[in-house]
Amino acid sequence: MALLEVKDLKQHFTIKKGFLGEKKKVKAVDGVSFHIEQGETLGIVGESGCGKSSLGRTILQLIKPTSGDIFFGGKNITHLPRKEMKELRKDMQIVFQDPYASLNPRSTVRAILETPLIVHGVGNRQERRKVVEGLIDKIGIRKDQLDRFPHEFSGGQRQRIGIARALTLNPKLIIADEPVSALDVSVQSQVLNLMVDLQKELNLSYMFISHDLSVVQHISDRVAVMYLGKIVEIADVEELYRNPLHPYTKALLTAVPIPDPTKKRDRIILQGDLPSPINPPTGCAFHTRCPVATPECKEESPELREKAMGHWASCIHVHHEQSEKTKINIS
Amino acid sequence: MLLELNDVSLSLKRDGKYVKILDGISLQVKKGETVGIVGESGCGKSMTALSVMRLLPEKAKLEGVIQLDHEDITSYSKRKMEKIRGNKMAMIFQDPLTSLNPLHTVGRQIEETLILHTDLNKEQRKRRVIELLNEVGLPRADEIASEYPHQLSGGMRQRIMIAVAMACNPSLLICDEPTTALDVTVQAQILDLMNHLKDVNEMGIIMITHDLGVVAEVCDRVVVMYAGKIVEQANVKELFINPKHPYTKGLLESIPKLGVKKAKLGSIPGMVPSPDKMPKGCRFYERCSSAMEVCKGTTPPMSSVGEEHTAACWLYEEKGGEMNGSSGSEGLEATLHN
Ligand SMILES: Nc1ncnc2c1ncn2[C@@H]1O[C@H](COP(=O)(O)OP(=O)(O)OP(=O)(O)O)[C@@H](O)[C@H]1O
Ligand SMILES: Nc1ncnc2c1ncn2[C@@H]1O[C@H](COP(=O)(O)OP(=O)(O)OP(=O)(O)O)[C@@H](O)[C@H]1O
Ligand code: SF4
Ligand SMILES: [Mg+2]
Ligand SMILES: [Mg+2]
Repeated sequence: MALLEVKDLKQHFTIKKGFLGEKKKVKAVDGVSFHIEQGETLGIVGESGCGKSSLGRTILQLIKPTSGDIFFGGKNITHLPRKEMKELRKDMQIVFQDPYASLNPRSTVRAILETPLIVHGVGNRQERRKVVEGLIDKIGIRKDQLDRFPHEFSGGQRQRIGIARALTLNPKLIIADEPVSALDVSVQSQVLNLMVDLQKELNLSYMFISHDLSVVQHISDRVAVMYLGKIVEIADVEELYRNPLHPYTKALLTAVPIPDPTKKRDRIILQGDLPSPINPPTGCAFHTRCPVATPECKEESPELREKAMGHWASCIHVHHEQSEKTKINIS
Repeated sequence: MLLELNDVSLSLKRDGKYVKILDGISLQVKKGETVGIVGESGCGKSMTALSVMRLLPEKAKLEGVIQLDHEDITSYSKRKMEKIRGNKMAMIFQDPLTSLNPLHTVGRQIEETLILHTDLNKEQRKRRVIELLNEVGLPRADEIASEYPHQLSGGMRQRIMIAVAMACNPSLLICDEPTTALDVTVQAQILDLMNHLKDVNEMGIIMITHDLGVVAEVCDRVVVMYAGKIVEQANVKELFINPKHPYTKGLLESIPKLGVKKAKLGSIPGMVPSPDKMPKGCRFYERCSSAMEVCKGTTPPMSSVGEEHTAACWLYEEKGGEMNGSSGSEGLEATLHN
C-alpha cells in the first residue's frame, strides 16, 4: 500500500478580475493522481505557476481541495474532522523555499524546534530537550548554537534548521517546496546530501517540488512533470530523463543549460510563454507551444496513460510501446 | 582590448566604516568575447559590474584603473559617464520589472535611450523602436510598443530590457543574472537570442550568473570570484575540464548534472567569510581541504597554471613563481608538504 495516494485532486481558486469584479477560476491543480511509497522520493517539476505549490499545500490541507481524494496510509483523509487532522499533521510536514521567512526571527533555534513538540504535547521538558539535541546533531549544528537566533546562521544552516523542525514529530512524509532554490550551489549540495542521509536513516518519503531538473533528477526515485495544473508525464527517474515521451518534457530537458562546455546539444526552443491558468487552452493545454501539435490536439483532451511499464504520459501523439493501451488506474 | 580592469578595489560604507568589497580585481574583455563571472552570493559579482558602469552606492571608494576602448574611464566625470552608459556600454539586470518604468510604455522607454544618445528624428526613432522589438524576437511589435511593463510576461520584459540595452549598439554589454528569474524554457529563448545578437553585433559581453550551466553554454572565458577576489580565470573548456583552484573544484563537484545520477554530491563545508572579517591569508582557507600552513597567513598570488589560465592558490605557486619571477619559497615548501 502506498503511503500517500492522491486521486483526481483539484484545486480551483476563485478570483475577482477586472473592473466589474467578474469572478474567474484559476485551475491551479486540475485532476492530479499519483502515489508515493514509504521511503520513496517523488519529484515534482514544472514551470512557474503550473501548480506545484498548490498541489503540496492541498495535500497537506493547508487549503481544502475543490474535489478529489487524498489517502494517507490507506485512509481517506480528505474530510477528516479538525482534531484528527491535527493528529495526522505530525506525519506530514512541509519545508519551504525561503529559510529566511519561514523561521520566526524572535525565537531561538531551541524554541523553534521545541514548539511543535509542545503544541502536540509530546514528552516532558527533559524529553523534549533530548529530542531537540538529537535533531541538531543530525543536521550538523552544534549544541552551543541552540540558543542563537535565525539571523545568526547562514542560509544553508537556516534551511537545515527548517528541515530539523519538520522532523521534530517523526513524520513519515515531508513535502519539500523548493527547499534548495534560494541557496548557493555549494550550500545546496550540503542540504541535498543531508536530505538523502535522513531519508535512509528514517525511511522518510519525500515529495520534492522544484523547478530545477538537475536537482530533481539527483534526489528523486520517480518524477512527475506538471503543466498548467496537470501531470503530463510521470515515470521512474532514469526512464524519464533517458526516454522522455511527452513533447513538453522533451523541451524542458533540452532547455536546461548543461555545465559541460564540451557537449553541444540540439535544443528544442519553445515559442511563447506559459498560458494563463485562468483560461487554459482547449484540448491539450500544451498545444499552443507544442512543436508537434496537430489540429486534433486542439480538440481532444489527452488523458494520462501508461505508455510503457510504469511510464505515463498524456499526449495523443505518444504511442504505446506495447500493444495495449491501459487507462490510468494507480490503486 | 575592449575592457580592462586593473587592480580594481571597491570599499563601501557599512555601519559608519568602510569595508572592502572588491579587492584587486583584474580582468579583461575582448571584442566579441563573452566573459562569465561566477561565484557564491555576495562575492562581489554585481559590484564588479556596477563599478564598470559606475552605478555605485553613495560614498563608494573605487580604486584602480578601468579602461574602455583604451581610455581610462575611472577619471571620467559623472556627466561623461552618463554619456557612455547606454551608448558605449549597457547593462541588463536580473529583475526587469524594477529597472523598467511602470508608468511609461515600453516603446517610450526604448525611445528615451535613442533621444539621449542619437540624433535620430522622431520618425526614425519610431522605426528603430519597432526594428529593435523585432530583433529581440517580440511578435506584434507595433502593439507591444504601446503596452506597459506589467502587461507583459517576465520573458517579454527581459526582451524589452535587451532591446533597451541594444538600442545604441553598445560595444560592451553587462548582464547581471539576466535569466535567473525566468523559467527554463523562457531562459532558453533568451540565451538563444543573446547568442544570436552577439554573433551579429561583435559585442563584448560580461555574463554574471550563479548557474554554471549558463556559463558553459554562452561564455568563452570564465572568471571565478570568491569573497571579493578573483581566484581563477580560464577559457570555458579548460575551466570545466581542468579546474585548479580548490574552490572552483568544489563548486563544480557540488552541482547535480543532468544525465548523471550520483549517490552523493560534493560539497564545500562552512560558509563564506563576511567582508568585515576577512581572514589574513587565503580567503578560502577555512573551507579548503588542501589548505596548508602558508595559506593561513599569506594571501596567495595569482599564478599561471596553464595557457591563459591563472589561479590564486598556494598549491600552484611553485610553477607560478618561475613564470612570475617572484620567489615562491614558502609556496615550494607548502607544495612539498602536500
Ligand atoms: N491563493 C490563491 N488564490 C488564487 N490563485 C492562486 C492562489 N495560489 C496560487 N494561485 C494561482 O495558481 C496557479 C498555480 O500557483 P502555484 O503557486 O501552485 O504554482 P507553482 O508551480 O508553485 O509556481 P512557482 O514555481 O512559481 O512556485 C498560479 O496561477 C497562481 O497564480
Ligand atoms: N549598498 C551596499 N552597501 C554596502 N554593502 C553592500 C551594498 N551592496 C552590496 N553590498 C555588499 O557587497 C558585497 C558584494 O555584493 P554583490 O551584490 O556584488 O554580490 P554578488 O556576487 O552579486 O551576489 P549575488 O549572487 O547574491 O547577487 C556583499 O557582501 C554585499 O553585502
Ligand atoms: S591557497 Fe591554500 S587554502 Fe587557499 S585554496 Fe589554495 S590550498 Fe586552499
Ligand atoms: Mg511554488
Ligand atoms: Mg548580484
